[in-house]
Amino acid sequence: MFQIIKSDTKINFAGMFKYAGILSTVLVLISLGLIFSKMKYGVDFRGGAELQTKFTEKVDLNKLRSELSTAGFNGISVQSIGELSSNEYLIKVPGNEENLNQVTEDVTAALTSHWKEGVEIRKVDIVGPKAGAELRQSGFLAMLWALLAIMVYIGLRFDFKYSPGAIIALFHDVTIVLGIFALTGTEFTLQTVAAILAVIGYSVNDTVIVYDRVREHEAKFVGKRLVDHINNATNETLSRTILTSGTTLFVSISMLLGGGLAIRDFFMAFTMGIIIGTYSSIFVAAPITLVFDKYRKKSESNTSGTVNA
Amino acid sequence: MKRSWWYRFVFLLFVVVISGISIIPTAFDFKETDNFPIKSKINLGLDLQGGLYMILGIDFKKVYKDEVKGYARRVEYAIKDDKGIILTVGALDESDQLDPKINLNVTSVTDVEAVKTMVHDNFNGFLRVTAETGSTVQLALTKKLKTDIEEQSVKRSIEVIRNRIDEFGVTEPEIVSQGTDRIVVQLPGVKDIERAKELIGKTAKLEFRMVNSDVPMSQINTWLEKVKAQGIEFKKGARFSDYVRSVNEALKSDLPEGYTLAFERARNVVDPNAEVQMSPYVLEQSARLTGDDLEDARVQFGNQQNQPEVGMTFKTRGAKIFADITGENTGKLMAIVLDGNVYSAPRINGKIPNGRASITLGGRNYNSQLKEAKDLALVLRAGALPVQLDFQEQRTVGPSLGHDSIEQARFAGIVGCILVFAFIFVYYRVSGLFAIVTLGLNVMIILAMLVGLEATLTLPGIAGIALTVGMAVDANIIIYERIREEIRSGVGFYKAVEGGFESAFWTIVDANITTALAGICLLNFGTGPIRGFAITLLIGIFATVYSSYFVSKLFFEFYMNKVEGQDLSI
Repeated sequence: MFQIIKSDTKINFAGMFKYAGILSTVLVLISLGLIFSKMKYGVDFRGGAELQTKFTEKVDLNKLRSELSTAGFNGISVQSIGELSSNEYLIKVPGNEENLNQVTEDVTAALTSHWKEGVEIRKVDIVGPKAGAELRQSGFLAMLWALLAIMVYIGLRFDFKYSPGAIIALFHDVTIVLGIFALTGTEFTLQTVAAILAVIGYSVNDTVIVYDRVREHEAKFVGKRLVDHINNATNETLSRTILTSGTTLFVSISMLLGGGLAIRDFFMAFTMGIIIGTYSSIFVAAPITLVFDKYRKKSESNTSGTVNA
Repeated sequence: MKRSWWYRFVFLLFVVVISGISIIPTAFDFKETDNFPIKSKINLGLDLQGGLYMILGIDFKKVYKDEVKGYARRVEYAIKDDKGIILTVGALDESDQLDPKINLNVTSVTDVEAVKTMVHDNFNGFLRVTAETGSTVQLALTKKLKTDIEEQSVKRSIEVIRNRIDEFGVTEPEIVSQGTDRIVVQLPGVKDIERAKELIGKTAKLEFRMVNSDVPMSQINTWLEKVKAQGIEFKKGARFSDYVRSVNEALKSDLPEGYTLAFERARNVVDPNAEVQMSPYVLEQSARLTGDDLEDARVQFGNQQNQPEVGMTFKTRGAKIFADITGENTGKLMAIVLDGNVYSAPRINGKIPNGRASITLGGRNYNSQLKEAKDLALVLRAGALPVQLDFQEQRTVGPSLGHDSIEQARFAGIVGCILVFAFIFVYYRVSGLFAIVTLGLNVMIILAMLVGLEATLTLPGIAGIALTVGMAVDANIIIYERIREEIRSGVGFYKAVEGGFESAFWTIVDANITTALAGICLLNFGTGPIRGFAITLLIGIFATVYSSYFVSKLFFEFYMNKVEGQDLSI
């Protein structure tokens, strides 16, 4: 039998929660700071226009920039995307609701009149500021609904004592992924939202499998402490957790490296999400249940105390 | 083998055959004409085949303004006809743009009551009196009327856009409303994006206005020189309508009373990037005929030389007005005005009494005439959009990008899957082979369901399929790890397999339901390509539970039957 994780592995994950807890808290706080200060919104949420262009020959970025600014377009940014040899450039056009369309058309016209056959406009995204604001709102709501639905499902299927752990773990994953986005200056786009939701689905998947095992142990070995159930469950499911993360990463990283520009954002977020999600379901989601369990027991004994008095 | 196994095996065969047949046309790129029972292929999304995606917002402010003005006129005529009371339509109060109010100035204070009674009796449910000072009555639209206007505007806009798009010959266009004030237009595979946008963007009112031919061209040119000297010029990036407005303001005192200056903008056909040519016209300020008076317009071929021309038919009321206008203005030009811009200005050759007219097009070759005739007929027939639409979101993808994207994503996806397959085989041996077969089946079912549900495959959708493979292995892994645990605890292989499948079932279901919940939220949020991801994710969940659990179980039952007493390769 080929094994990556030995079947008799016994790691005291719950015991490591002290360190994992501190690490995660710090990461989450830093991420929140980064999100609110440095997060760059893509054209979908910010509004504006983006033109993805491909030139047949190498184009000097500065020449392209000056060409556009002499044509009377100000505030336009040009950056190279993808591999240098592919000569693909992203042209970002700022503008307001009134003239966005016109400016974009004019930029297109300016490019094609100067480079003629040598330029191909591959993709144009024009998002009015109003539409951008609405997309931002609905994207945020979608993430919120997903979290809520999962919380309720876990509460109903398992026990509400598990819900906070799962949700905190999800919040943790999402925040850190977004934090990395903010740190690296990767733009937050519609695709990121989709990836975040996929991460939510994936990460909770991991967590549920551990919980499932904890519940099974609680029924099988009555009288043991919850901390032992959690440790045993995490160890027993460890090889599955690692294997599944591995196979998903095989696909995710292949797509990230070779899937092309158009879905890079998505797999960037998803790959990070898998790694962080795997960490959180082992080190955060299950152990945190202990904290809530302790707190609950305490408040229960407190209540009974007052009744007795 | 047990009888129930055979039932399940037959069902599996059925699934395989149906899925296989469904995806054959896609896999081998069959044509419509090929002799194969199933014609439908997987729909590729806009991002894969190229095309245009737009969200158009409707600005009701202008609609309300027009409506309240129109109603004020009706009150004016009605009270004149009924009671002989003369009133004039006064200033518009736009302090609340969503509820504009208009003043009616009555000549005599004693008639105010009559006006109010008239509004109350004849315009009940449409108009409300908001204020009354001296001989002035202020009116506004009722809430009910505004709601009706909104609904009607959205409906008519969709109809008009669909009409235009149908003419354009796009396969499977999607034009739907979103919320109360938005329209989503998706045109997959449309080649000439600029032209499509132009057609949809023709959002103005259609009007027929007389050209004042008494003003000589030289005079107009002098005016334009004068305006230019004042620094009023059309600049790139500005709105043309703004330019026209400022020109007219500057020339207010020069233009004959009741006339405005408008332009015909002709794009240079040879070089589309050249400056747009503008031919000025002096037009009557108010339109006597509008698009509402027009019944139909289509391309027809003239008797002489089979020249393409546009035939128009007016409605009864329109026909009468048209007869009057043509009778009074024989030899003059009548401009067809769209969005304040002159589209064409044909000469009236004589009185047209029956409401049927034809517009012949000047010059150039047959093809350009035909295109011009088609465009003009389209503009006339589809009528103009009832409301001002603005492009809130607009995404265009060129066909080459979509093609590249498919190639790259497919390649990377296949590489990823091969890695997964290789790993699973090394790790689980024979059982791993079963997993690989069920994963293959999984992908086949997803593709077949995309065909069956007529869903659209987008680029994120391809990502979704690849991810499903990565994640579907999870179900196999959960089962296999369970079986390994059972084997380690010392039970026999048969029992281990049975126990493994049994205890893994709810774990798999729970894990997939949570993923599905996230998928449903995504489906509700998503627009365009993102929805495609949610759809493949959701379909993938069903396919996964079936193939990775039930089909695997079927394989194992068969395998255990054959290898009884031997070592289980897991």
